[in-house]
Amino acid sequence: MAIVIDKSQRWRVLLAHLFLIALCALVLFPVLMTVSISLRPGNFATGSLIPKEISLEHWRFALGLPVTNADGRVIIPDLPVLRWLWNSVKVASLSAAVAVLLSTTAAYAFSRMKFAGKKAALVGLMLMQMFPTILALIAIHSIFSRLGHTFPLVGIDSPWALVLAYSGGIALHIWTIKGFYETIPGEIEEAATVDGATPWQAFWRVLLPMALPILMVVFLLAFIGAVNEYPVASVLLRSQDQLTMAAGMKQFLYAQKYLWGDFAAAAILSGLPISIVFILVQRWMISGLTSGANKG
Amino acid sequence: MANLQFKALRKSFGDLEILHGIDLEIQDGEFIVFVGPSGCGKSTLLRCIAGLEEISSGELAIGGQPMNEVPPSKRGIAMVFQSYALYPHMTVAENMAFGLKLAGHSKGEIKAAVQKAAEILQIESLLDRRPKALSGGQRQRVAIGRAIVRKPGVFLFDEPLSNLDAGLRVQMRVELARLHKDLATTMVYVTHDQVEAMTLADRIVVINQGQIEQVGAPLELYHHPANRFVAGFIGSPKMNFLPCTLESATEAGARVRLEDGTVIVAGADARGLAEGTALTLGIRPERLLAETEAGEGTARTTVIVSEHLGDTVFLYVQSPGSTGQLTVKAKPENPLRTDDVTYLRFPTKHCLLFGPDSRTLPRLS
Repeated sequence: MAIVIDKSQRWRVLLAHLFLIALCALVLFPVLMTVSISLRPGNFATGSLIPKEISLEHWRFALGLPVTNADGRVIIPDLPVLRWLWNSVKVASLSAAVAVLLSTTAAYAFSRMKFAGKKAALVGLMLMQMFPTILALIAIHSIFSRLGHTFPLVGIDSPWALVLAYSGGIALHIWTIKGFYETIPGEIEEAATVDGATPWQAFWRVLLPMALPILMVVFLLAFIGAVNEYPVASVLLRSQDQLTMAAGMKQFLYAQKYLWGDFAAAAILSGLPISIVFILVQRWMISGLTSGANKG
Repeated sequence: MANLQFKALRKSFGDLEILHGIDLEIQDGEFIVFVGPSGCGKSTLLRCIAGLEEISSGELAIGGQPMNEVPPSKRGIAMVFQSYALYPHMTVAENMAFGLKLAGHSKGEIKAAVQKAAEILQIESLLDRRPKALSGGQRQRVAIGRAIVRKPGVFLFDEPLSNLDAGLRVQMRVELARLHKDLATTMVYVTHDQVEAMTLADRIVVINQGQIEQVGAPLELYHHPANRFVAGFIGSPKMNFLPCTLESATEAGARVRLEDGTVIVAGADARGLAEGTALTLGIRPERLLAETEAGEGTARTTVIVSEHLGDTVFLYVQSPGSTGQLTVKAKPENPLRTDDVTYLRFPTKHCLLFGPDSRTLPRLS
């Protein structure tokens, strides 16, 4: 590692550090600001980054605990923030699991099997996913509205409808996983085939364990996507206790009053499941699972 | 234990035909090596045996049973891949046990089989390791071990040594030969390295452009190549080829004129050919003599480069009368050095002649 360094290099290193510090500040500022807003009394979006006075009223509100006002009145929070959080976690985990299940198998077919129209199907999937969700919003609404007449479980205002809607958006995941599969030499599966494995066994016992890191990445991406998703959730869900966090938080901001403090506290809460899932998942996101199979 | 039969086996990928009708019979317990240049179809042929490629037409039988429609797992074969293709998420023991586990053998049986294979290959101490923690040679042993535990009727090797360094390759070559002796199982081995082919094979199958050029024991191929391709492919350094024209042919030999006008006698029967026919003279580097004095039937030329290897000298000399280059494998006491003038002698009985169709003319003994 001890490469001889030119003197001018030091200035460049210094500049690079300054640039990176500035970048970190830029990225961290909104997060810190949100924390600050959630901790200061009153509902003000502007103000100094370090609150002059710390108040936990917004956090108590977000967690559903009674809040005592300045004039001594006790307010019972009227918005089920924790319930929304739970809805978000439920919908996101389920839809991410379904997305992983569907996209790994679909990607296997696209990467390893020969069938007519493979290329067209792949490109088609990609193209369809390129249109923004907003374009299909009306269609999605009417589909689930009609579905709900026959199967109330997946009708409007049901979290299952949301899971179903989110599980459809896997084109990108298929491409991601397919790309990963293609880095795994086909000879390993051929060896399994010669060893007596059926295509399913070769997939399940040989290919999938090697693809674990990418499956975790896809799960995480799908999870984050579902937690953050607003348009479809806001159209498919109506009653207050069915809402996800993203859709529900809109209720802090009505025309007469913007409850920025409560909003900020809820926003931080909604980041929690993502962080937890990331921490859980990252131990699987290790590289080098395939190393050793080949000459190396 | 099984013999193999190929009948007019063809394989095409789309419009591209890779194998143009392979007819071959492999005896039970034989060590057969498919050898040929890159892209000649030898690996494809092996994959057809394994069932990893469908056979386009013709027939493949293993142990007398037609195998065209039988899936790989039911063919009684085991394969060792060029890249080893170990399962990276399993330990060495699990890698070797995988096939038996799928076949539903009991734990005790599997353990015994793995243990035995590990002993044969001397990898007992590695059983709990992952492939990642093994060296190239050890990985190769595991790949072979994975094949052994299944007790197949036929072993298939797809260039198994080409990823190893030179020293290890020699060592593994010896071990493979020993393994074949111990197991006495049919082995089909693909390589582009003719040294591996010469040392390992009971019989060599030389393949070129999807066709079998010649089948025979290593020395038979070396001394009696059927055509110019086999003559050039078997042997290292390569056989020397010189263009020549036929002067006259008798039962004693064929008089041919080299491009520089030298007339030499080759021990081949060219009596069926017309005078003036363009032929190719072939002579192995260890048979071609580079002398310092002119004599009868010698061709004058110069040494381009001489390489002294201690026990031998390789002289690269100008091909008489043409721009080509010939190799002479000489004794260490040969005094010729770079840029020296030399006189090449072509001993009659070591000169092969190849006809206009590249076939070897019959040799006179």
